[in-house]
Amino acid sequence: MKKSYRKLLSLALVFVLVLGLAACGKNNSKTTKGNDATGETTTPEATATEAPAETGTDNTAEVVPGWQQHASEKVDLTWYINFSWFTTPWGENLISKTITEETGVNIEFVVPAGNEAEKLNSLIASDSLPDLVTLGWWEPQVGDMIEDGMVYALDELAKEYDPYWFDVADSGRVGWFTQEDGHIYGYPNSSFSPADYEKYDNISSNQTFLVRKDIYEAIGSPDMTTPEGFKAAVKAAKEKYPEVNGQTLIPVGAHEFGATGNTSFDQYLSNFLAIPYEKDGKFYDRYTDPELVRWLKAFRELGAEGYLADDIFIDKRAQMEEKIAQGRYFCMLYQRTDLAEQEKILYANDPNSIYIAVDGPKNSKGDAYTLPGTGINGWTVTMISKNCENPDRAIQLCSYLMSEHGQLMTWLGVEGVTWDYVNDVATMKPEVRELLTKDRAAYDKQYGADSAYWMFQDNAMALKWAVETPEPLGQMERWTYPYVMTTSQYDVTLATGSDEADIQSKVDNEWGIVLPKLLLASSEQEFDSIWSDFIKKRDDFGISKVLDTKTELMNKAKAKLGLK
Amino acid sequence: MSVKRGAGVKQKGNLGRWWNQRYLQFMVLPGLIWMLVFNYIPMGGIIIAFKKFKITKSIAEAPWVGLQYFKEFFQDSNFSDVMINTMGISLLKLFIGFPLPIIFALLINEIRGIKFKKVTQTISYLPHFLSWVVLGGILTTWLSKEGVINDFLVTFHLLKEPVSFLGNPKYFWGVALISDIWKELGWSAILYLAAITSVDQQIYEAATVDGAGKLQKIFYVTLPSITGTIAIMLILQISGLLNSNFDQILILKNQVNISRSQVIDTYVYQVGMSLGKYSYATAVGLFKSVIALFLLLFANKTCKKLLGRSLY
Repeated sequence: MKKSYRKLLSLALVFVLVLGLAACGKNNSKTTKGNDATGETTTPEATATEAPAETGTDNTAEVVPGWQQHASEKVDLTWYINFSWFTTPWGENLISKTITEETGVNIEFVVPAGNEAEKLNSLIASDSLPDLVTLGWWEPQVGDMIEDGMVYALDELAKEYDPYWFDVADSGRVGWFTQEDGHIYGYPNSSFSPADYEKYDNISSNQTFLVRKDIYEAIGSPDMTTPEGFKAAVKAAKEKYPEVNGQTLIPVGAHEFGATGNTSFDQYLSNFLAIPYEKDGKFYDRYTDPELVRWLKAFRELGAEGYLADDIFIDKRAQMEEKIAQGRYFCMLYQRTDLAEQEKILYANDPNSIYIAVDGPKNSKGDAYTLPGTGINGWTVTMISKNCENPDRAIQLCSYLMSEHGQLMTWLGVEGVTWDYVNDVATMKPEVRELLTKDRAAYDKQYGADSAYWMFQDNAMALKWAVETPEPLGQMERWTYPYVMTTSQYDVTLATGSDEADIQSKVDNEWGIVLPKLLLASSEQEFDSIWSDFIKKRDDFGISKVLDTKTELMNKAKAKLGLK
Repeated sequence: MSVKRGAGVKQKGNLGRWWNQRYLQFMVLPGLIWMLVFNYIPMGGIIIAFKKFKITKSIAEAPWVGLQYFKEFFQDSNFSDVMINTMGISLLKLFIGFPLPIIFALLINEIRGIKFKKVTQTISYLPHFLSWVVLGGILTTWLSKEGVINDFLVTFHLLKEPVSFLGNPKYFWGVALISDIWKELGWSAILYLAAITSVDQQIYEAATVDGAGKLQKIFYVTLPSITGTIAIMLILQISGLLNSNFDQILILKNQVNISRSQVIDTYVYQVGMSLGKYSYATAVGLFKSVIALFLLLFANKTCKKLLGRSLY
């Protein structure tokens, strides 16, 4: 009896001790927080008291950025990024630390571990969206979330909490992303307005025709713009270099074949052949253009003669990347930024074994290429979810990142630490730049500038600070400058669940099956019969209905952009 | 023995027996709750197969559409291909892939050298521990025109010219079957080996005394002793006839062989996950489950009649 009594007593003592410790801990953190705040806030507090008076009295005075007013009040925001490859954490490198210091906002990223759609849909279905959400503008979930009131209207938040937002938001982008109800729910990154295309001549496209430099030069740098020249060049290359480092040469390379086709053989080829997006005021069905058929037939001939290796139909991305790093492809229509890492490896091994951009397939009239650059839609949109408990701080963070100050921070970093003014131009310090070109991972860990946090990257503004991309990547980029055009008005999305979207997905699916069959057809007759079957199937599915709707959407988009 | 025990407790009644075991029964409870929460409650989601479901809205808000998605599946231009492939690959696996591990187990059982037996077994079940994701990468390299398999076949004049095994639809079923056997043969044999080791040695001795040879012992002693295990494995296999190993097919299929590689599981994945048609995908999946249930019942009954053994 006595023993158990003692046991109980000791237990109670331990309990009290633990409680006391916990309380202490809490107290401590509170006091330090308080100290911190008073220490730091001398300037922001002053502005904070001025701010309401300013905004209240008249609009002549400059609007005070919201992030300056609240920098002293620490707050945590969660931020969902719909890209599983995004792994840069917040709070460890220079840039994120500085941003947290300046705005008082600490961020915790939420990134899907595997399939993006799975993660995003489960977040939506369980109503547990993080405070900020960043995803590609083309994702159907964007419209769903807006329609079902899961995200705040940015303009309303800005009006209430941060009028400064209107100063930093680009009016062209705001106009484009404003919905029919007059509100804007998401703000884009990497967006270029058609006006930007007139203003700048160093906007690049990602689409290139690449050849392996040494092989191309060894066969006399032939003209590859016509089907005949192309075929002859491929054959010459294979004959002269049947093997690369002991492995067989793959004469023609391409992107991975997917369920809806192959970007190299449909989209990029169409762009190189300058196939128009519209004809006679109607949305044009580009994949049916005779120029594309003419070139697909040329590729079929190469295939029948054994110059299209099986690898390109079977390989997944990982295998392709390995083969690019080994330099096993002779030529390919490919996204230049997709092989940047492999190009660096080739360059390090032998500067002559790299891939360079040269003139590729042209249409029979020899028209200049029409390569799309990023349009007004940009890449991602960022929205503030209704689950956010501090929408005021979220919108203020957005304004901060959209402002020139924020852009300079995410592009170049902190003045004096990562960059200095050189002849009045903000320039990255050479040793910082060297780390950037040599080891991106280490750079991100230490600094995290150069758009490591790209959610609001404003590529148009950044052209001010842009320096020429160094070799080996620069040549591929510069080659695209003269051919870049904007295709914003044609980036139309069919409403999810609509008949048109259903038909489109059936047609796309069919194309994914038909395209490899066309390229592997053993004779031209076989090609023609596959082709006419495909055209008939599309008509049966109801493709004309889709084209009508797309024409409508295109005209709406043109009106919004102020194009004829 | 079990009859005796049952008779002894009968006087107390089932409740009484349950009460006596209450501490043991209590241990079952967490598992039971887990099953209810994670296996049975989510089944309610099947309802979206009959509704036009949108992820931003709740299931209750979605309008009923009846059997529309089932009809859509039967009219789908992919329907026949998908069904043929699913059945074709599964039947091949049933007729060839099912008996092989049994034969393999019988053969291993006959090996006398303990060391050699162990090594054979280990080698044969090692591939089981590799995931299909890893194996897929290895197999694409091996099966390509320049891969080891073509090299081997051409060197030994079994083939005149190298063949692209994954780049031609007509080889896909064979590749799927053989790679599956190669990966799972040793592992599946373990179960039969376990059953064989539990056979009473005295029966063998008796058979030896009666003058039975090796083959006779296999046919008259070993096989009849493990029919129970075989029957249960067969029932399970038949009920999974429409499950054609999702991982394997997803990894090995590509756009060139898709006409012979798309099966129900990969189709559901493609439609549901990449196109976001959840209702449609659920309908297709439900269709598959219903057929699987009937197959299970059918196989169970047949086995009961023929062998007198069944799952339940």
